[in-house]
Formats: sequence, C-alpha cells, structure tokens
Amino acid sequence: METIVNISFAMLRMAAPLILVAMGGVFSQQVGLINIALEGLMLLGAFAAVLAAFALHSALAGTFAAILVAMLFVLLFALFVLRFRANLVVVGLAVNILALGLTKYLLQVLFATRGAFAPTDLPGLLPLDIPGLRAIPILGGILSGHSPLVYVSLLLVILTHIFLYRTIPGLHIRAVGEKDDAAKSAGISVPRMQYLALILSGAFSGLAGAQLSLGNLQLFSENMTNGRGFMALAAVYFGRGRPLPTAFACLLFGFFEALQIRLQTRVGIPPQWPQMLPFAIIVLTLSLISLRQARHKA
Amino acid sequence: MIRDTLIAWGRETLRIVFTLLTALVIGAVIMWLSGKDAIAAYKILISTAFGGRLEIADTLLTATPLILTGLATAVAFRAGVFNVGVEGSLYLGAFAAAWVGFTLTSLPGPSLLIAALLAGAIVGAAWALIPGYLKARLGVDEIVTTIMLNYVAIYFTSYLVNYPFAVPGLANAMSPLVAANAKLPRLLPPSQLNSSFVLALLAVLAMAFLFSRTALGYELRVYGSNPLFARWSGMRPTSVILKAMLISGALGGLAGAGQVLGVNYRFVANFSPGYGFDGIAVALLGRNSAWGVLLGAILFGALRSGGATLELMMDIPLELIRILEATIILFVTAQFALRWVRRRRMSTASETAE
Repeated sequence: METIVNISFAMLRMAAPLILVAMGGVFSQQVGLINIALEGLMLLGAFAAVLAAFALHSALAGTFAAILVAMLFVLLFALFVLRFRANLVVVGLAVNILALGLTKYLLQVLFATRGAFAPTDLPGLLPLDIPGLRAIPILGGILSGHSPLVYVSLLLVILTHIFLYRTIPGLHIRAVGEKDDAAKSAGISVPRMQYLALILSGAFSGLAGAQLSLGNLQLFSENMTNGRGFMALAAVYFGRGRPLPTAFACLLFGFFEALQIRLQTRVGIPPQWPQMLPFAIIVLTLSLISLRQARHKA
Repeated sequence: MIRDTLIAWGRETLRIVFTLLTALVIGAVIMWLSGKDAIAAYKILISTAFGGRLEIADTLLTATPLILTGLATAVAFRAGVFNVGVEGSLYLGAFAAAWVGFTLTSLPGPSLLIAALLAGAIVGAAWALIPGYLKARLGVDEIVTTIMLNYVAIYFTSYLVNYPFAVPGLANAMSPLVAANAKLPRLLPPSQLNSSFVLALLAVLAMAFLFSRTALGYELRVYGSNPLFARWSGMRPTSVILKAMLISGALGGLAGAGQVLGVNYRFVANFSPGYGFDGIAVALLGRNSAWGVLLGAILFGALRSGGATLELMMDIPLELIRILEATIILFVTAQFALRWVRRRRMSTASETAE
C-alpha cells in the first residue's frame, strides 16, 4: 500500500511539468500550428525562473519571470511563423537550439559555472499543506504536500477544457484550427487567434519550466528539460489536442518516470527501457489509429 | 531564360548573405553585452577555421558528418517528407558499424571496413523506413514520428552499450574498440581528418547526379513541388516517399558509421552533439541541392571548429556558436528579404513597362 502511495505521489510530481507544457501544446495544436518549440520554451522558462528567484529572493517572482520569458520567445516564434512565413518546424527547431545555447552561454557568463547552478539560498516553490487533505486515508498521502504548481497544473487542465469548449475565444481558436477559411468568412480574425493560442502556449511552457526548476528540483542544469517538451507533444498527439486525454497521457508518462526511479533503486531494470517507452508508445498509438482509420475507409 | 536564372541565383545569394550577416551581428551583440571583443573573436574564428592546412583539415573533419546528414535531410525534403529523424538513423547506423567492427573481426583486410560501412547504411535506412512507411501508407505525420523515433534510437543504443555490450572497467558507456582493419585511414595526420570525408564528397557527387540526371531525381522534384500533379501524371507517391526515406536513412547511417570508424573507433552513448539536426540547417541553407549542402556543411564545420578555439583563447563559451547556428536556422526560411527584393523587382518591371 505504501508503495502505491509513494509511486502515485511521485507520479503527480513528475507529471506536473509535463501537464503544464502539454496544455501549452494543446493550445497550439487546437489552432492548427504544431509547436516543436515547447521543449526550448520550457528550458528558457526553467532558466528564467531560477535567475529571477535567485536575484529577487522570491519563488513567485521566478515563476512570473518564467512565464514572461517564455512568452517573449514564443512571440519571436509567432512573428517568424505568422508574419515572415517561415517554416513552422524549422523555426521551432531554431528556438530549441537557441534555448539550449543561450541558457548554457548565460550560465557560463553570469555564474561562471558549467553543468548546473544550484545556489543554497535559492527560494523554491515549497510544498503546500492544505488543511484536512492529509487526513484523508490513502488519497491524502498522494495529494497533499506538493508544490503549489502541482495543484495549479491540475486546475489548469480543467480551465483549459472550459476555455476551449465553453468560451467564445476558445471556440474561435478551435474554428481557426479546424478550417481557417471558414473561420475567416465567419468574421474571426485568424492571425489574432493564432497569436493568442501561441502566446498561451508559451505561458504554459514557461510555467512548466518553473515547476521543473523551482518546484521539482530547486536548481537549473543544462538541458534539464531533457525531452519533456517532446514528450508533452506526444501526449498532445495521444489526446488528439483535447485537454483531458492529453493530461491523462501525461499522468501515464509521469507514472513511467516515477516507476523508473523506483525500479532503478530496487530491481535491475535498465533505466533506458522506461525512458524509451513513452516515445515508442506514441509511434505505435499513432500507427494503430491511422491503421484503423485506413481500414474504415476501405 | 538565362536572365531569370541569374536573378534567381542573385536572390538566393543575397538571401544567404543576409542570413549570415544577421547571425554575425546578433552574435556580436551578445558578445558585446557580455563584455567580449566581437571583432577579435571573429578574427580568431576565421583564422582557426581556415588559417592553415591543419586548420582546414579540422574544419573539414567537423563538416564531414554534416555533409552526410545534410544530404540525408535534403533528399527527404525533396520528396516533401519533413524527416527530422536523421539523428536516429545516425545513432543506429553508428552502432551497427561498431558492432560489425568489433564482432566480425575474422573478415580479412578491407572487407571488414566495407561490411561495417554497409551495416551502418543498411540499418540507418531500415530505421528511416519505419516513419517512411507510416507516412506513405497510413498518412501518419512524419514530423512527430521521426522526433519520437530519435529518442527511441538514442535510448536504445545507450542501453546497448550500458548492458549487453558494456565494456567492464570503463566508466563511460561505450562499446569495445573496432578492429584495426575496420578503421578508416587518416588523410592528414596529426589531424583526425579521415577518409569518411572522401566518402562524404562521393555522396555529394552521387546525390548531385541523382537529383539532376536520374528518373528518381525527376520524380522527387515533381512530387516534392506538386504531389497532386505527380499523382495525375502516374507517379506512385508511396514508392517516391519510400525511396527517398531509404536513401535518407542510409546517408544518416553512413554519417554515424563514419564517426565511429573514422574518429572514435567505438560507439559512445549520446556521442552526437546534434549532427542530425545540424543537417536540417545545412540542407535548408543549401536549398536542398547537393553542392549547397557541401558549402553549408563546411560553413557549419568552420563555426564549430573555430568555436572551440574561441573558448580557449577568449573565454567565450562555445555555446555562442550554437546561438549563431540557431539564428541562421531562424532566418533561413523567413521571407522578409525576399519580399523586399520582389517589391523592388516589381517596381523596376513596371518602370520598364512604361
């Protein structure tokens, strides 16, 4: 029983940054623009969070800085894709490489360190103790004592769902993604919705970065996102752009990650297998979905 | 006709010069902001990249894998397939070449080297066939599948050298050394430049020939630029995509094999600093032409090999080079320069019409 509680607790912790960045991916997916840059935006967010939290002695300031910086860079992405008609995937790739290079460069120039920056007095996002939650048997052990962004991530899944399916701007974003010609003739400003969705996608990626560097670890290390942005992209494809199934996929991936940490210390399963699994699963899932669709057509 | 070609060439050149200049200016601003002398840095960059025989050899050494991954990306792009998965083919091809090199050691003389190279190409091609098949037959988006399969390849090869093929006593995850007759000969010692560069040049020639002089090259051109027309004129898109992905994967695998048999002499986990992704930049910069890829790869090779010296001599982090590369990639498909040129052309055209 205790093992299940422990793994479930770790699953929520591991899934939180994934869920946040995946919700970012949901917005860009729904507006019809595949966002390869999630990974880089998240990394920039993680760096900005640590930098601002360290300089201003406030984890909250760090969190806002992460959102702001990721939004700034997604604006660059949007500008090149929407205004200058550059290739979507190419620009996404450029942002990822830029994020990797810029964070490493700044790490060396600002702090004269390589690898990781982990000052002892870095204010992190401290675990939240919600009164009464801990008292619930089993569930209390899983749900209580997380960083605030873990709860925010779960809340944002529901809010994203409501925004996309129950509000006018959400409807417009989906309309543009579904058929931009039709949306245009219905009087929706296509570029405005595209910018809106992309900026939201940046904000969520930044938040995800903050959770990773201030919530889960309280440090910044080179390439610390380590494919999480792409894993989130996989989750978005798994959920076909819908917030709830996407979040479910993230929880599943978080479970694998929690399991991997557990297995590594207990039994001798090579860590590469659970690391590989989410990526292999998504290729398999996409293939099976398409195979079924092809069968239906035939 | 000739005039149009010249104008097109001029426009391409202008565009590339503009892209490079922008990258250099942004790099200079970043260096200036962090208190470094940008002019001196660029001088060192150029002199370490092209300053002498050995310097040029090092530039070509760094360019070699990029030539191959650039060609690999270009051939897929030409077929309209956005193959981001060259990195995966590179890893698996590299491991396959290493495996042949340290396992089939009974093969005599150069036959071991040839077998290792072939193994790299074949395994790389087979790996690329997965997303190729999914795209051609089932219409699965290749961008997503190739990105995901990259991670599978990287983790899988890392598993291989951490567990079944781990060398006892070595701290880092790497395979055993390949046999001496599986090594690609060095061209200009003490530089590590080796005959994989010659292989890459041969690949450039072969691809230039394929693109311009063969039926497949014609099919690629037609299918890549207008899939609908290609289908109506009787081409089978499935076979065009599959052929392109096979070639792409083989070139990617060869790039990995070249690094193993020519530089490291063993497979090292996570050895690639993103050769496959740089290949995308190189292909874009070279406009998917074989010779363009060669030039683009040499440029990136120069940046990379000069960047290392920059860090040593001026304490400028090597990552500056990555920022320059990112800027180049960011600008290379953007269309604002072109729009400006077109507007000017249109105004001159209307003037001559009057």
